[in-house]
Amino acid sequence: MEFLGPIIFEIFVPILEFIAEPVSGFKPIPGQYFPYYFTIEYFQRPLIASIVVAIVAGLLGTFLLIRNLALIGDGLAHVSFGGIAVGLVLGGISPLWYALIFSILSAIAIDQMQTRKLITGDASIAIFLTGMLGLGLVVLRIWGGGVTATVEGYLWGSLQMIDTGSFDIIVTSCVIAYVVIIALYRILLAIAIDPIAARVQGLPVRYVGLLFSIITATVVVSMVQIVGVLLVTALLVTPAATAQLIGKSFRSCVILSQIIGVIMVILGLYFSAEYDTGSGSMIAFIAALGFMFVALAKYAIGFVVKPKENLE
Amino acid sequence: MSSDFFPVCGEEILNVRDLSVNRSGSQILRDISLSITCGEFVGIVGPNGGGKSTLVLTILGILKPKTGLVTIYDKTPLTKDIIGKVGWVPQTASELPTNVQITVREFIQLGTISSRSIFGISRKEREAVDKIITVVGLEDCANKRITKLSGGQRQRAAIGKALASEADLILMDEPMVGVDRESRNSIMRLLDDLCHEQNKTIVMISHDLASIKQTVHRMIYLEETIRYDGPTSEFPELSSLAKLRGIVATHDSQEQNAWSEDEQESGIIIMVPGKEGEK
Repeated sequence: MEFLGPIIFEIFVPILEFIAEPVSGFKPIPGQYFPYYFTIEYFQRPLIASIVVAIVAGLLGTFLLIRNLALIGDGLAHVSFGGIAVGLVLGGISPLWYALIFSILSAIAIDQMQTRKLITGDASIAIFLTGMLGLGLVVLRIWGGGVTATVEGYLWGSLQMIDTGSFDIIVTSCVIAYVVIIALYRILLAIAIDPIAARVQGLPVRYVGLLFSIITATVVVSMVQIVGVLLVTALLVTPAATAQLIGKSFRSCVILSQIIGVIMVILGLYFSAEYDTGSGSMIAFIAALGFMFVALAKYAIGFVVKPKENLE
Repeated sequence: MSSDFFPVCGEEILNVRDLSVNRSGSQILRDISLSITCGEFVGIVGPNGGGKSTLVLTILGILKPKTGLVTIYDKTPLTKDIIGKVGWVPQTASELPTNVQITVREFIQLGTISSRSIFGISRKEREAVDKIITVVGLEDCANKRITKLSGGQRQRAAIGKALASEADLILMDEPMVGVDRESRNSIMRLLDDLCHEQNKTIVMISHDLASIKQTVHRMIYLEETIRYDGPTSEFPELSSLAKLRGIVATHDSQEQNAWSEDEQESGIIIMVPGKEGEK
């Protein structure tokens, strides 16, 4: 059974092919291998999935940052590794489904532990992160033949593993997550700014928090194949943080974060194709470089433009 | 149903009966009874740990009372009928998150969200927000980020957010923390105008007795229970506060220092009742 995968694929493919060759004979995409991402179906799918994931991650990341939850993505990614390990051993359906279930349940548990003040701060994330990573490794060692190439693909991200089935899971969960976050846009912002005022205004703070956790878990799982368990945070936090450096309003931060995410992913895929490195590691590296570049540029501009303020 | 709730001056808006509240096992408030009518501007003062914030959070419905009852327009707080009738202004200067690049306009617009309209903002609401921005005097920095504002401007923005919800009853927790004296006075004037002209009811917690004393109509001194509740003009001077507390000789020196520091900071000496006019 397929959901939104084929539809999204049909929408994107003509665009990619147009970009690859807008006028007959003119091929603006640079590089020796990178153009394949635009023309060959086997590579088109990973490119589309990466772009979709970058857009959703940029949007979600902005809300994670204002809720001070930058590391929840990392935590849930490790949790989903536990799910993937169990899925690889049990087989049957795609390991991503197991990852999704593990990740959502843990997200709910973490949210409940934090709202019920069972333990404070990030401790609940730390417990789930290490516990589930441990579970995954133990399960693989006993029943799964250790850390194989497939397992490594999930750890560091591997675009070759994105087949029609996982493409469908990734794209569908991203579209659902995007729609839900946009629908909750103002209410999420209101809660992040002042939870008490939000409750006084009659907003369902608890339920929205829970729903947000589930959405975060879903997005994280959809990112695992592209950037890998260990690098999810790169795409979730870095573009949003970069946007915060230059955004002049919350809305502009939200939009910029998505644009920056897409640029970083495309640059990352270009360099990883041309220099034959892993996609996830290159995307993470490029995203961090982008952040540093923007931060330095901002500092430099501030130094040149407003020297008078500094004199005081 | 909601049409019954238009504020009428003199109508009772808030009623608290025999309220006792415990927080993590220890009793913070006991036997609180008070009634506040529309258009009143009430200041709640008292020492740290005296239960000011607890009282306000209980009125909001965030904390549940151990015994007693809070009603707003004869309804329980946080229930459907009175949602949107109550506004909340936190210690904004210190409590606003610094990691959100949100503009003043975006911030005040958040006040218009209700459980009925969470998805978008209508044109009518947009216009209402523009009007509120003018009322709180922030039209010059409507598109500036909150983090770039001064303490006083942020406080105005927070008041604007509460006004955007069209609340009749506005509760404020130490709103003058981090606000300089000049802005303090003009914010107090703004609040006074809101009470008189728009018939808002304002209940304000303050640590800084001197700065609110000139403006609020009614003063409540709270320390576990209400020790004084009456017109501001008859509020006793500082030296007799100790008598109100019933512990003349033993009150701790740290507490006393906290009060006198406030006085020094505001530069206003608390006057003997009845002499306000001479200032």
